[in-house]
Amino acid sequence: MSLLNRKTLLLLLMVAASNVFILAAVAQSDPTGGKRVTGTYAIKNATVFTGNGSATKVDIIIENGLIGGVGKNLKTPIDAQEIKGDSMFIYPGFIDVSGSAGVKTPPTPEKPADLDPSNPPPHIAGITPYVDVLESFDPADEELGMWRKTGITMVNLIPNGEGMLPGNTAVVLIGEADSYNTLASSTGMFAKFEAIRGLYPGTTLGVMAKWRELYQNAELANKHQSLFASNKGLVRPEKDRVLEAFYPIINQSAPVIFKVKDELELRRALNLQREKGFRMVVTGVNEGVTLIPLIKETKTQVILSANLPEDTASKKELKGASEEITANLDRVKAAYKSHLELAAAFEKEGVPFAFSSQDLKSENFLKNIRLMVENGLSEEAALAALTINAAKILEQDHITGTIEKGKLANLVITTDSLFKSGAEVKQVFVDGYLFTYETNGNKKGGKEKATDITGSWNYNTETPQGSSSGEMIIKKESEGFSGTITFDNPAGGGKKTADMLAIKQSGSTFEFQFTVDVQGMSLSVTVSGDFSGDDYKGKMTITDFGSFPFTATKSPDSTTNN
Amino acid sequence: MKNLIYIITALLLLNLNSLQAQVKKGNLLIKNATVLTITNGIQEDTDILVENGLIKQIGKGIAAPSNTPVVEASGKYVMPGIIDAHSHVALSVVNEASSPITAEVYMGDVVNPFDIGLYRALAGGVTVSNAMHGSANAIGGRNVTLKHRYGTLNPEELIMTEAPRTIKFALGENPTRVHGRGKGIQPRSRMGVEAIIRNGFNEAIQYKKKWEAYEKAAGQKNSTAIPPKYNLRLKTLGDILDGKLIIHCHSYRADEINMLINVCKDFGIKNIVFTHVNEGFKVAPELAAHTMGASVFADWWAYKFEVYYSTSFNAAILTKNGVITSINSDDAELIRHLYHEAGKTQRYGGLTDEEALALITINPAKQLGIADKVGSIEPGKQADLVIFENHPLSVYAIPQMTFVDGIKYFDINEDDHDQRLKVSATEMVEPIYLMEHDHRCMHGVEMFSETGQFFGTH
Repeated sequence: MSLLNRKTLLLLLMVAASNVFILAAVAQSDPTGGKRVTGTYAIKNATVFTGNGSATKVDIIIENGLIGGVGKNLKTPIDAQEIKGDSMFIYPGFIDVSGSAGVKTPPTPEKPADLDPSNPPPHIAGITPYVDVLESFDPADEELGMWRKTGITMVNLIPNGEGMLPGNTAVVLIGEADSYNTLASSTGMFAKFEAIRGLYPGTTLGVMAKWRELYQNAELANKHQSLFASNKGLVRPEKDRVLEAFYPIINQSAPVIFKVKDELELRRALNLQREKGFRMVVTGVNEGVTLIPLIKETKTQVILSANLPEDTASKKELKGASEEITANLDRVKAAYKSHLELAAAFEKEGVPFAFSSQDLKSENFLKNIRLMVENGLSEEAALAALTINAAKILEQDHITGTIEKGKLANLVITTDSLFKSGAEVKQVFVDGYLFTYETNGNKKGGKEKATDITGSWNYNTETPQGSSSGEMIIKKESEGFSGTITFDNPAGGGKKTADMLAIKQSGSTFEFQFTVDVQGMSLSVTVSGDFSGDDYKGKMTITDFGSFPFTATKSPDSTTNN
Repeated sequence: MKNLIYIITALLLLNLNSLQAQVKKGNLLIKNATVLTITNGIQEDTDILVENGLIKQIGKGIAAPSNTPVVEASGKYVMPGIIDAHSHVALSVVNEASSPITAEVYMGDVVNPFDIGLYRALAGGVTVSNAMHGSANAIGGRNVTLKHRYGTLNPEELIMTEAPRTIKFALGENPTRVHGRGKGIQPRSRMGVEAIIRNGFNEAIQYKKKWEAYEKAAGQKNSTAIPPKYNLRLKTLGDILDGKLIIHCHSYRADEINMLINVCKDFGIKNIVFTHVNEGFKVAPELAAHTMGASVFADWWAYKFEVYYSTSFNAAILTKNGVITSINSDDAELIRHLYHEAGKTQRYGGLTDEEALALITINPAKQLGIADKVGSIEPGKQADLVIFENHPLSVYAIPQMTFVDGIKYFDINEDDHDQRLKVSATEMVEPIYLMEHDHRCMHGVEMFSETGQFFGTH
């Protein structure tokens, strides 16, 4: 009793003392009651994977947002909350090298009435490399919390704008919402092979040409500026924020972060790099083992997509199928398998890599990485990809990426060895702040009730040519689903109906395709998104033309099954 | 000092080589075939020896060096690999339809080595194709000449690097529909198309002058010359004026063909091939005098208004008038039997075997500027060869084996069901898009045109 009193007293003294030093920052009282009691923690005797060598049973001290010490039998600071770590597995906080959780899609700029689509101003053509992603970042976005729950403590934010050069990336901590979580801005110029429909550049062809032109003109403009700075009587250089955004790239002080969808895009990015010689990070890599020699030659840094394709083939039963069809199925299975083995192949070739969370749901993140480990990726390489490799790519390895004294207190605490399938994230430290999660061990409530996709839905979609709406009817079949969708007749007048094809549902994700005939040509349209209750949110992708927002609401009481 | 330079140069070259695509080249001996040389008549019971991808010797009783694969071809015909001067095979994107001039874009950027169309073309004996930009723009992008080395995953290995640059132009309904009607910008009419092209060339002349002036000034001591803006579009147009590119112009009507011949005369351009050219028979003497020829369909027309005045005798009339004439596919299906298409000129126009075969071999080679390398069976040329069961102009002709650079890429006896290089990880049945003609040339432009509005307000 007396000990407790002494401790409490000391704690109060500490708080008082810190008030003296940080007068401005700390309020005298906390009427909200939300302030934490202490920011100092002592985790005792946990299984710690520091990122350097194998796991050891040690203590970790956390103070002032930093790791105050790692070792055996460390002295617990007097103001520390002590955490018994015997059943804990502790890893360095995970780092997502390209994520867009919390990043809003900037509004589509209004097109001037006299717009010449063959020569649009850069900001309308999706060429805004000067944009800072932090301008459209909401640190309070709930999605960030979901990623933190998977162990991600730091993320390189990717701008969500349309077009080939939507802006610069920035590194933030997924920390306490009221903290200042920005670590670095303008960490790279984000680029993709994407165009704004109907405007120049309108396809990958135009994007490649535009890239070369912008790069070359940035070099020339840079030259002009330096001539102007050191000579009199020269023509004044034009202020061009697009070209100026390229200066860090041509001066090699920042990388281009190129998002690629497939092997061919990866090759195109590598080709541009070979032509121009800029520093490059490729993200979203999901195939392309044969390109490893080129990746090495160009010193390109690799971010693999943590998104894996759905396993559709292994579930297929082909009783009495012909040899040809069986052989086809085997090829699909092999193709699926090669996606799972991609990370292992990069490891084997000695190419360090990190992971990207883009295009992925948070609950699949660790699941997919475990799948890669099951398919040949070593646990050490997987952990390095989640931590130190990512820190190095972002040039933040001096403050994070391993568990070391003096680095940021970013830690992931799991119930079991991370790569075991039952392991759950129990607690996450970000910047010294502790976040605790329910695990199966301590869960109280039941599972959230799954909602039902069947029924009739009214949808809306926005394309640059205006909004359009229609109805989807989805029925449950003995195997899977069937459905129809109505849409504006492209030939004009009235609605047309098409059957949903290739319907896929997993969890709350629902995806289908349909075909639209325009002037004798078949366009394939894919709709994918998530449903929750009576809402469906997603996107509609039209072959060669891009993706557009797609939302739907369910008509009341229209569930068709049960 | 000289030695040092040699060493440095050698090192640099080594370095470059390691980045460059490694194209496979083979050795081969074909025995006892009827050889349709194209440029040197028909040679019966003849052998062809191939060494390191090139034809070394043509003659009787050639002994093969050891380890050379031998193909016995008695009773069979060998012709040069068929050349398609107008195709859109193996391309991820066809049209950059966003501007009436897009000379800066390059089809080599979007070569898709996984396209099964390459294998199907090989099965039809086609070894070289001109993978072209579409016809949405008055001046489209640079095309890429491909050698059908199907099986490589590296698009660069498909590119015939030694071929000169070619560029797509398009006249008539397509550019006026896409830009004029579709977007309300020039060109809305055939006159507008001419204006776009003339303006483009005039701007290119200005651009060239600007850079020449800059480069001259920049060469001076302590120069403070300020570089002009770089513009690959105008640079490419300037290269056309300098004769460095061959124009391949999509065209149908005689008046527009005459128009472009006149534009070329005014700007001193000699390297031009007209493609489609359905009314070419009306201006055959002009085509013969002023162009590198015409690349036509055997008998395909009436898919839109400007293509009604047509005849199956077109290729024959052009040939008889001394126009370098080829027959092209512009299509994933036609490319599989261009030898039939060539055969049609014997029914409609009575061309000789030699004339008909030239339409799909040496003539398209001339139009692509590669006639010194491919297009006939001659010593020193690249060993692109097709072995046929029955004469290739017979309706019973069936290609048996197709070689590119002496490497066999198609063999009817090893033709498995599934020749795909890449398979989707999720789709059991991959979508197949069957396109009508002209939707190929206009591939990907529907969304730009007023009639192609989709999901939109009218």
